[in-house]
Amino acid sequence: MSAMQFGIFTVGDVTTDPTTGRTPTEAERVSATVRIALHAEEVGLDVFATGEHHNPPFVPSSPTTLLAFIAAQTQRLIVSTSTTLITTNDPVKIAEDFSVLQHLSGGRVDVMLGRGNTGPVYPWFGQDIRAAVPLTVEHYGLLRRLWREESVDWQGKFRTPLQGFTLAPRPLDGVPPFVWHGSIRTPEIAELAAFHGDGFFANHIFWPPAHTKRLVELYRARFEHYGHGSADQAIVGLGGQVFMRHNSQDAVAEFRPYFDNAPVYGHGPSLEEFTAQTPLTVGSPQQVIDRTLGFREYAGDYQRQLFLIDHAGLPLKTVLEQLDILGGEVVPVLRKEFQEGRPDHVPDAPTRESLVAAARAAAESAGRNVEGQQP
Amino acid sequence: MTALAVVSGGLREPSSTRLLADRIDGAVRAELTRSGVSASSSVIELRPLGRPITDAMLTGFAVPELEGAFHALRDADGLIAVTPAFNASFSGLFKSFFDVLPEETLSGMPVLIAATGGTERHSLVLEHALRPMFSYLHAIVSPTGVYAATDDFGSGAGESGLGQRIKIAAVDFARLISSCGPRKRRDVFDEEVNEMTRLLTAAQNRDRTNPVDG
Repeated sequence: MSAMQFGIFTVGDVTTDPTTGRTPTEAERVSATVRIALHAEEVGLDVFATGEHHNPPFVPSSPTTLLAFIAAQTQRLIVSTSTTLITTNDPVKIAEDFSVLQHLSGGRVDVMLGRGNTGPVYPWFGQDIRAAVPLTVEHYGLLRRLWREESVDWQGKFRTPLQGFTLAPRPLDGVPPFVWHGSIRTPEIAELAAFHGDGFFANHIFWPPAHTKRLVELYRARFEHYGHGSADQAIVGLGGQVFMRHNSQDAVAEFRPYFDNAPVYGHGPSLEEFTAQTPLTVGSPQQVIDRTLGFREYAGDYQRQLFLIDHAGLPLKTVLEQLDILGGEVVPVLRKEFQEGRPDHVPDAPTRESLVAAARAAAESAGRNVEGQQP
Repeated sequence: MTALAVVSGGLREPSSTRLLADRIDGAVRAELTRSGVSASSSVIELRPLGRPITDAMLTGFAVPELEGAFHALRDADGLIAVTPAFNASFSGLFKSFFDVLPEETLSGMPVLIAATGGTERHSLVLEHALRPMFSYLHAIVSPTGVYAATDDFGSGAGESGLGQRIKIAAVDFARLISSCGPRKRRDVFDEEVNEMTRLLTAAQNRDRTNPVDG
């Protein structure tokens, strides 16, 4: 693995293929998702992340179940989320699910937390969307303690109190999964990530780069303010959205019907307008390389790049071809080029190995041994 | 220097809505000048922004030309908002523009409301549609609005003539702008960050002072 991690993130939508009129079954979509994740490892990508949704037409309602199944069939791939809903999930259950997943996958897991923007999910899970921000702060505060403290006494506003609660199993090697905080729009999430010294992932694909720039700059400045390191040492991830063919006109012609009918932006701006306004890149592998390298100009040297490639009804075969191009032609160049001029003090993307090493170093400098190091 | 923004929701060219907007704008600036305040105005025509407004509703972000209109409003000290009356309300385009305008842009902003229509029977559109919407957006709506029916553009300059009604509305609006003073612009981005900082610091202090009870 290099200084940067590259991977894919999926929404998990079941969408009619506009070119054939065929809608995959939920069973087909779930198995396609697994196939896509396994192929991500086969072509040399580092990360697979799944969204979490609790309503049709989406299938990933239970991300850690899906990720455990994928982790069982892979060797190197980091499995992650995009995002895990910190508002409507019980933080105790999040801690338990990811702790088991950590042990099953040999630590090849991290998590991206988000608030979720589907209104009814809040009442479905007994929460109030108007309290989303304080709920995020409280739930995440508890999650951190569950992962770090042996015995937790806790009381808050949004959940029943805990007395003498111990998370089982304890995090692998005593080191919890790395936490990213994902944001499409809100600066609050950048502040939350900076406060705790966690990673910040800007969704990046729905909004113009100027917006991402402002969020990332805020996160970096606040990361430094809270004493976690210099601004350029903050841990940044970005989304991206690509469709490639060797001839760029072929890419545009093939992708246009999927774009025009996409649930998120279909029937609005043209493909040409949207590619000009947002990071969406439809064209040759070289165009994707050039555009992606340009992200660094406004986000700084960053740690993780995830692409969305399997949405809007694109058939499995096409998605697997996209992965072949991504892993075969695009990512190897990006790894090399992103390394150019990257200062030594900019940290590499966090991995289990780096987190365990950092925890050991911290414990040694504190003059004691790491607890729970032996399995 | 007082900055005025004028939003005109007229759909045709030339447009009687724009004509009314210009006359009100001229009257307000004349009134401000009389009281020793120099004023400039920037006019935002909604028709050329029709597609950007619809795209913004669908994608959630504004393209630069629409962003420019947002900035003109954000930087204004007062707004003159004029719409044609359609189906007993403002036009859909007029409403859509304010639907995609960033939150709190009009908070504390003096607004003069005005509308045009085919006959004078629609004049209460000012009170039933425009005034509640701008109140909801936390604007300070001037008590006197201007409604112009088609016939008004051909009527004489009597007591109840359009010119006189514009003048009365302009006098009220100029007073409102002057007495409101400089406007404190709200930045939702910064407000959200500050609120998060407050919550995080409070949670941390709670954990420190009372670790058992959280």
